[in-house]
Amino acid sequence: MGLLSDPSISTQSKLVDGLARHVRKVCYTLYVAGVVWFFCLAMPEFNHGTYLSENALSPGLVYPEIRVDANRLAIQLLEELQRERKDHLSTTPHAWIAAKMNEFGLETHTHNYTLRYPFGGGKEYHGKNIYGILRAPRIASTEGIVFAAPYRAASSVHADISASVPLLLAFADFARRKNYWAKDLIFLVTEQEQLGMQAWLEAYHDGDRDVDVSKAYLRPGNLPARAGSLQAALNIEVQDLEIDHVDVRIEGLNGKLPNLDMFNLVQRIMAREGIASGYKQAPRKKRRHSQSAFEQNLRQMLTMLASQSSGVPNGNHGLFHRYRIDSLTIAANRRATHATLKGNPGSAAVPLLKAVEGIARSLNNLLERFHQSFFFYVLVNNDRYISIGDYMPALVALVACAFVKAYLTWSTLPVTNAELEAAAGLVRDPEQEQAPELDQDGELEVDSDLDKFELPYGSVLIYLTATLLIGFLCNVLPLQQYFLEIPMGAAPLTTSVLSFLSLIGFILPFVVVLPPGGLELLHVAFLLIYGCALIVIGLLNFALGFFSAVLTVPLVISLETKEENTRSTLRNSIRLATLIMNPMMVIYVIVLAMTFYQFPELPLQKIMLRAATAAMDASAYGLIDSVIYGNWLYFVICTIFLPLWIICWTLALSKRRDYTDYLDFDESPSTSPQPKMKTN
Amino acid sequence: MFIKFVVILVLLLGSCRADAEAEDTSVLPEGFVDASQRSTHTNNWAVLVDASRFWFNYRHVANVLSIYRSVKRLGIPDSQIILMIADDMACNARNPRPGQVYNNANQHINVYGDDVEVDYRGYEVTVENFVRLLTGRTQNGTARSKKLLSDAGSNVLIYLTGHGGDGFLKFQDSEEITSQELADGIQQMWEKKRYNELFFMVDTCQAASLYEKFTSPNVLAVASSLVGEDSLSHHVDPSIGVYMIDRYTYYALEFLEKVQPFSKRTIGEFLQVCPKRVCISTVGVRKDLYRRDPHKVPITDFFGAIRPTRVSTDRINVTLANEDDFIQVDKDELVARKPFKIVMESQFPSDLFK
Repeated sequence: MGLLSDPSISTQSKLVDGLARHVRKVCYTLYVAGVVWFFCLAMPEFNHGTYLSENALSPGLVYPEIRVDANRLAIQLLEELQRERKDHLSTTPHAWIAAKMNEFGLETHTHNYTLRYPFGGGKEYHGKNIYGILRAPRIASTEGIVFAAPYRAASSVHADISASVPLLLAFADFARRKNYWAKDLIFLVTEQEQLGMQAWLEAYHDGDRDVDVSKAYLRPGNLPARAGSLQAALNIEVQDLEIDHVDVRIEGLNGKLPNLDMFNLVQRIMAREGIASGYKQAPRKKRRHSQSAFEQNLRQMLTMLASQSSGVPNGNHGLFHRYRIDSLTIAANRRATHATLKGNPGSAAVPLLKAVEGIARSLNNLLERFHQSFFFYVLVNNDRYISIGDYMPALVALVACAFVKAYLTWSTLPVTNAELEAAAGLVRDPEQEQAPELDQDGELEVDSDLDKFELPYGSVLIYLTATLLIGFLCNVLPLQQYFLEIPMGAAPLTTSVLSFLSLIGFILPFVVVLPPGGLELLHVAFLLIYGCALIVIGLLNFALGFFSAVLTVPLVISLETKEENTRSTLRNSIRLATLIMNPMMVIYVIVLAMTFYQFPELPLQKIMLRAATAAMDASAYGLIDSVIYGNWLYFVICTIFLPLWIICWTLALSKRRDYTDYLDFDESPSTSPQPKMKTN
Repeated sequence: MFIKFVVILVLLLGSCRADAEAEDTSVLPEGFVDASQRSTHTNNWAVLVDASRFWFNYRHVANVLSIYRSVKRLGIPDSQIILMIADDMACNARNPRPGQVYNNANQHINVYGDDVEVDYRGYEVTVENFVRLLTGRTQNGTARSKKLLSDAGSNVLIYLTGHGGDGFLKFQDSEEITSQELADGIQQMWEKKRYNELFFMVDTCQAASLYEKFTSPNVLAVASSLVGEDSLSHHVDPSIGVYMIDRYTYYALEFLEKVQPFSKRTIGEFLQVCPKRVCISTVGVRKDLYRRDPHKVPITDFFGAIRPTRVSTDRINVTLANEDDFIQVDKDELVARKPFKIVMESQFPSDLFK
């Protein structure tokens, strides 16, 4: 045994022994500290005001030049588009859009892509994007900015955002007449929500590479023209030319965010044009005094983290982040009340057009990609943020519980057979039970000649590998050709595969019982893997890491492999909690809560049924998202959380081999095996 | 003999206590004092440097071009102005007015007119090139227009603008010149007899830190801000979307625009052009290396040029060999007037080698 891994050294430390006795108290203190720190971040003393860090942007230094004629053009285009929409109920009026782009003098191209939907026997969908490039008049086409507007067909279930395209085209017509563009401007109209955008981005970046497309689910094709490296992108979703407020959406794929400078830029320019704009901006309401600033801040933080944690982008902008292109969506919402009497409809969209112009000119000033401000932040308010340095301690404190507990568990690992028995909860008569503790305090020589005990590293390693293999299968199995050919929908297929593998995990500890000391070693390994996994997830997607830590750390702290007679109720409740923490169960509970929140009028039984189908759909969407968009939520759940849960379940069960096996060679006659062992 | 003794005494006193000089000179004959305060230079040079690049630093280019315009207007020829501009704002793709640079939102003057000669441009503006230029250690094959061919009789104006810090000035976006390097360069200039008097003018943040290390004689330095202070820009042109000019240079120009080649304005007045109330930063001045009283030094000693110039309302033929072809009408008048003679001092003693 190496010097560092020799348990006999570490057990000599009185401090460690003392701490080991209070490991739960230490860990719970850390947990509470982490959570309290997170709550503190909502207080103004703990967060900072936003500022623009990139000099080149110089927002608002330039007067907008776009005038009311652009607005008239937008209105005229919107009317034309509405007529077109009557003929194209479920398709995009490609010809009309392309004709308009050509008319405004843009270099117009179309982009075709194909989606090979793998489930249910396989289907093919075709889509078409239209984009026009406005070449920078006095510089080489080495850099570009994208202005995108998604087009939704009239038959779409989502909100009508058909005004985005006219607005985009009106701006394109204005931009065409200006000579100061230092980057190519790409005006892009995508269809089929995020799929079109993903296809266009893949085609833009990898379209000219020779990739084997036979296995790809999304075949993006190639683009006829490009505009250099894309520096930034602005996605515009406008419900109507008469707008009430602008919601700035920033959450991207896997919880990535655009640079804080970009958000600040948009906020500045919107404020200058007098548009109510902000992150999760809601319609203007009467002021409510009930909420304190702290409560509002906390609510804002939690909603932001909640929408980040799934890793699903809440707009087309989110797909750009994968290519290191900062982007966000400005979603202009229709004015709810008919305030047409107040405002002049002939100039309703002028502020928005001016804002788009201002953003475009600032982005045009960029000398390199956004690099100055924060990429990892949480918005507390529209003008306040928390940087990564301030919020990470919360997660670190939570994760520290796992590492502290791992160290203390390791340092108290049974060294001798006698300790092993004690660890297993094998209760001797009181004098004998207290004997080893006395020894540790005073005379160590008494124990030194007892037989050393070898920890079962091999079997624990095999066990860990088995659980990881189950996780791996979750990723691989649903996409096997054999399974795909089963005439079954994506949702039931994925769910049944996942349930089956979870069931294997559930049964595993009943079938495989680790040798003596194995559980303790597994416990240490579990804590280390768990801690590492959480900190890595937290670095990549803080929201996901933090929420899973808050949810699971208490359970992990209370997990104990030692048998203690007095705590049987606690033990059983831990087992129950572990069962509920099964990833599948957690997903179901989350979906159930959301269903309950959305349809409070339904009876409970219906809600539960609806939640079950929704949860099945969610797992299928997770899989599809991971395959097509590269969202790694499904991967994380399958490869990390499920194996961890299986180990956790094993530890909660604490199934041991029958004591008689090793009582024989222990030869201590006074011991009486406890029947408690077998009750599970 | 007595005068000689007095001169030595005065010099000694002057070197010990600069403030006592005024009292001591008061007893001297007025003609002598005037003579000692008179400039001894024979030619003028200007080194104008914009050290920063990027579109949002438009104002630095406007600064340096404005000073260029002024010194050129006051008589220093292009051949004796070394203009270093680190970025091309006129042809920047973001410039809505291609080929033009303005120093004012009213856009009265295009300072990037058609007669601007930029000697070092873009990435040629480096610390190395700047130090080589000052010390005269240019590389073989350097064009004449890129050399500072000053001599012991030259008054040199050095104007620097860009982004500075405590003890350095940033060149481009990659390197800095430290105040020590600058002081060493100027010391070398003195040792190599490359200047008679030197006027050092800086418009950067913490500009005063740049002249702190100077030890060479006959250097008068002025800086837009003291150590620890920022120099600020003056105003924005909202039609271009950039800051147009820095405060110190703006007010310096306001002063210079009123100066004519035979103006009686002095450097002393020029040092006070930007009081804190308008400049926001405090203008730093260093006079201890300078032997003359700035209030008696005409500003044209540095911003103008010694050249055989004469304002004339008559027609004068300078270059044409056969005068008669052109001037016939005024012939009689010319004869009647007293003829004058133009004496051109050759800059180089080239006639010795003929």
